[in-house]
Amino acid sequence: MIKDVIEHVGGIGLYGIVSLLLFFAVFVGVLVWAFRLDRARLDSAARLPLETDSVNSRKEDPHE
Amino acid sequence: MNTIETFKYDNRIVRAFAWATVFWGLVGMSVGLLAACQLFWPALNLDLPFTTFGRIRPLHTNAVIFAFVGNGMFTGIYYSVQRLLKTRMYSDTLSWLNFWGWNLIIVAAAVTLPLGLTTSKEYAELEWPVDVAIAVVWIAFTVNLLGTILRRRERHMYVAIWFYIATAVTVALLHVVNSLALPAGWFKSYSVFAGVQDALVQWWYGHNAVAFFLTTPYLGLMYYFLPKAAERPVFSYRLSIIHFWALIFIYIWAGPHHLLYTALPDWVQSLGMVFSIMLVAPSWGGMLNGLLTLRGAWDKVRQDPVLKFLVVAVTAYGMATLEGPTLAIKSVNALSHYTDWTIAHVHTGALGWNGFLTFGMLYWLFPRLYRTTLWSTRLANYHFWIGLLGMMFYVVPMYVSGVTAGLMWKQFTSDGFLQYGNFLETTLRLLPMYQLRALGGALYVTGVILMIVNLYRTARQGQFEPETEAQAPALRPAPAPATVKWNHRWLEGVPVTFTVLATLAVLVGGLVEIVPMLLISSNVPRIAGVQPYTPLELLGRDLYIREGCVGCHSQMVRPFRSETERYGEYSKSGEFVFDHPFLWGSKRTGPDLHRVGGKYPDAWHYNHMNDPRSTSPGSIMPRYPWLLTQKLDLTPLPARIRTLRRLGVPYPPGAEDTAIQEARAQAEHIVANLKAGSVEAEPDREIIALIAYLQRLGRDIKQPAPVPATAATLSGPGAQP
Repeated sequence: MIKDVIEHVGGIGLYGIVSLLLFFAVFVGVLVWAFRLDRARLDSAARLPLETDSVNSRKEDPHE
Repeated sequence: MNTIETFKYDNRIVRAFAWATVFWGLVGMSVGLLAACQLFWPALNLDLPFTTFGRIRPLHTNAVIFAFVGNGMFTGIYYSVQRLLKTRMYSDTLSWLNFWGWNLIIVAAAVTLPLGLTTSKEYAELEWPVDVAIAVVWIAFTVNLLGTILRRRERHMYVAIWFYIATAVTVALLHVVNSLALPAGWFKSYSVFAGVQDALVQWWYGHNAVAFFLTTPYLGLMYYFLPKAAERPVFSYRLSIIHFWALIFIYIWAGPHHLLYTALPDWVQSLGMVFSIMLVAPSWGGMLNGLLTLRGAWDKVRQDPVLKFLVVAVTAYGMATLEGPTLAIKSVNALSHYTDWTIAHVHTGALGWNGFLTFGMLYWLFPRLYRTTLWSTRLANYHFWIGLLGMMFYVVPMYVSGVTAGLMWKQFTSDGFLQYGNFLETTLRLLPMYQLRALGGALYVTGVILMIVNLYRTARQGQFEPETEAQAPALRPAPAPATVKWNHRWLEGVPVTFTVLATLAVLVGGLVEIVPMLLISSNVPRIAGVQPYTPLELLGRDLYIREGCVGCHSQMVRPFRSETERYGEYSKSGEFVFDHPFLWGSKRTGPDLHRVGGKYPDAWHYNHMNDPRSTSPGSIMPRYPWLLTQKLDLTPLPARIRTLRRLGVPYPPGAEDTAIQEARAQAEHIVANLKAGSVEAEPDREIIALIAYLQRLGRDIKQPAPVPATAATLSGPGAQP
């Protein structure tokens, strides 16, 4: 039923293509980005939640 | 060398939200249990307007989503944001505005929904004054969150923070767009969208409310509390980056895909399916990231109830996110839509993912807030097993019920007739499943009560620490732009840019879907026979909305032979152009009503509303005796007609002045019909308006167009108004 409606919207097919290309580009971009990241820095970032509350617990980040 | 700064984390706000979570969790789930029992034991509707299923169901969904999960989300966010960013919240005033504002909104919901003050749009039922309050409180939260991020002492924004930012920005957007309505009184408004367009906007909102209210904030909590409880970092930080961007980018447009399934040419439908299935990838990436965090720590899961809860939560997330795309496949949806399968699906998410993650977080948090140990690990383990059993008893019967109903509705005899022509037959078959589901719900609530006892005793035996002192070096100024490396780490160092990019990701997806929606109103084929509701029918429709009939009855006959045989001609988009809001519904506990007009005599409706079992033995529908006695208030009619006209419904000039008179005349006509069916009724009762509306439903296309008649075409593009 909605089919009747949407089909009349001009250039609806274009939306599908644009969506797919856009998504694909972003996804590839994020992948490339993520894999070029420095492992040591990732590790230090991943440890952020593990720091405890108590005073003086924070050690200087060795990677900065 | 940096100066070391000393500051204090605010634990009071965390405690306040935590207790609110516990309290509203119990309320919301108990109301859900009541609703579950009403479905096999109609007497539990108590024959009172305030306690009937139609009003109780939205109370349950709102309480669980916005009160339980909402407060749970704030608990975890206010705890983790301060610690991850090494700073106190930006503003204590905003924190408390967030807390009191949010909880007062929930109180307002708990009062207005049972009173029948509702927009009827699922998960957005609250009327406009409350909607405005929600927007204000949400902005307070967003400002507080972003302010805290700007004042942080830790340059890197941990992945949990990204999920919080995406939540804050997107929920604001969704809420504002979907709540656009024109008031026609203090607690009555009409959606600015009508029919098909309203449906598309509503489900763009509905799906993404699940995505950005129930999923992204809780993923943030998972990324914080799971490593905390397991005492090891997340399995792959890289994967979490991919998880975040892929998820927020696809999720926002997966909802409309879901809706557009029947709407697009074949190749786009296939594309839509591919997109929905693609959503499995980031979701499962996140789930595996969570589960693999426990590698080498599974021995801890055996001992620590917190980890048990978290593991089941993450597993349930994985199951629900595999099931969602499955249900979005057209051929599966043909069977599953309108059935309890959907109910099973959402409860895997609600009970498993949101519920268990919240419980795990609370069991971890309370001993730390109160500087003690958990009062009873054994009791927490009991809660875990009872809760898990409850979940199974809930979900499995709902699957059976969903598939049974879907198959029975579509079953033809060898002669080509519907095998179960009477809808009631299919409902009665499901009652044992409803009873088992209620048992599951009762077990789950029992578990929550055990948790409350445990948390209370933990608080009693400990000493609450209102503020935790911490120290950290001040944030060094950002490096000069020339030395900045163009990578994700840089992006996390600039929260404003990050927020803008995340918003863009969400907006692009939103726009790609919203733009066609906005074009739709001029693309719905007009059907000449379709006219605005008469004043009396309009009031009847507002009563239908007030009583929450849409919770159990759809108004959308799908183009399947099994449905056209049962209900009549399938629904056309042009039939809904004056429907502010749309009332298609999403569940058929009772039959579809789009073609009910003229199917039964007026007297049948009168008797049926008074006692459904008098006309349909065994029916599980509540009684509505008050409709027979309460006087129909005609005074709001002029305002409502003016409002609708402003929204584009073509009421002729002066219609608001003659409306009351017209309504009275039509009421007299119905009273005469009732008399013919040996029912004596007063013309000024609510039931008369409701009958007028029900008898109008779906009839416009059956009648010749009014004079001057042009050809009443059903599908061709008609004249624009």
